[in-house]
Amino acid sequence: MSCHEWTNRIDDFLDGRLEAAEAEGLQVHIAGCPSCADEVASIRELRDLAAALPRSLEPPRDLWPGIEARVSATKVVRGRFGSRAVLAAAAAVVIVSSVVTAYFIGRSQAVMVTVEPPSVVESGPSEVLLASFEGLGVNNYLDTRTELLDALDARKHELSGETMEVVMDNLLLIDQAMDRIAEALGEDPENDFLMKQLAGAYRRQIDLLQRAVRMPAEV
Amino acid sequence: MGTGISMDVETMATFPVSKPVPPRAAMRVTGKPESRENSVDRAAHGDVEAFEELYRENVSRVYLLCLRMCGDQSLAEELAQEAFIRAWQKLGSFRGDSAFSTWLHRVTVNVVLGDRRSTARREARIKPAGDDLPVDQSASEPFPGQALDLERSIAALPEGARKIFVLHDVEGYRHKEIARLIGVAEGTSKAQLHRARKLLRKALAS
Ligand SMILES: [Zn+2]
Repeated sequence: MSCHEWTNRIDDFLDGRLEAAEAEGLQVHIAGCPSCADEVASIRELRDLAAALPRSLEPPRDLWPGIEARVSATKVVRGRFGSRAVLAAAAAVVIVSSVVTAYFIGRSQAVMVTVEPPSVVESGPSEVLLASFEGLGVNNYLDTRTELLDALDARKHELSGETMEVVMDNLLLIDQAMDRIAEALGEDPENDFLMKQLAGAYRRQIDLLQRAVRMPAEV
Repeated sequence: MGTGISMDVETMATFPVSKPVPPRAAMRVTGKPESRENSVDRAAHGDVEAFEELYRENVSRVYLLCLRMCGDQSLAEELAQEAFIRAWQKLGSFRGDSAFSTWLHRVTVNVVLGDRRSTARREARIKPAGDDLPVDQSASEPFPGQALDLERSIAALPEGARKIFVLHDVEGYRHKEIARLIGVAEGTSKAQLHRARKLLRKALAS
């Protein structure tokens, strides 16, 4: 094996990810190769320095007041609002992100979408959707979503009705997109493109909720 | 970190993880076990004072983790606050099978990885109008300890490489876990670490 090929394995070697035989081969090589030996020594030194860095530092200002203000505001509310209604669903995923982004980045230029009012779907997300999320490694989609919805619920009095409406509308659009995708995945479960679309829709949904939860108080 | 699918970021804090947090990632707990358990429990039931105790015990570790990962002092302050707020919201899902500090560490990592502001903020600061002074000339040294050159070089790394370096080489996470947290392939995590180490060695040698 050439020097170059060994160099590519040095990270793995130092991080303990080489097979025993390969590790031994590398050790034999560095015994006779000053350049690779230097490389190993230098990375090892850096790694040891990094691992020995201090682990704590007082922040330059007390961060508690800002935390307390928000924590106290969310203290009591644990209820749900419309979490079943918004589990409803059907629409285009592509427009969603641009609408959401446009809305939050520059509210003056916000593009408002007209959507039909959420139809209450009591059955919740489909089996296919949940199974697909599992395929993506997202095992607690509903929990995460519910937690964020709760956090948003806790803030609903601080946000304007208009904002809440846009958030809920967009949430619904994403839900609808997810259902569409899940429907297609039901026909073609291995479809990579669809899985990516679903992952994207999920990410946008969480992002939307997070942004809404973090928005400065308006009311 | 615009590549890949990062749908895991937000959910990781409540994920049943396949293996315990790596040893170095676990923050040491300073308070007495009983009193801490008590404050976690009380905080989970809405006791803000108890949560403040948890904050005081843990803030210095949370803050430094944020600072290293994002490389920006004021953003680190915001992210540390965000981490505690997130922890407060999620306390109900903390099951007590790991130390609170370990759980909080994970929540913090998720908050930092889920934040999109780092790059924009840094770029804004790096380009003051008509001024080619290096960044932070006027600011006080944000880092503690002896290894200032290393800290500054880490802060100057490209964002993706920096986060992965901090998680892997400082915090002791494994590539598999980093890949899952960030939503990139394991190979990407390895490549970024390689790049970070290379840039750091170069910076430290000069
Ligand atoms: Zn060699």
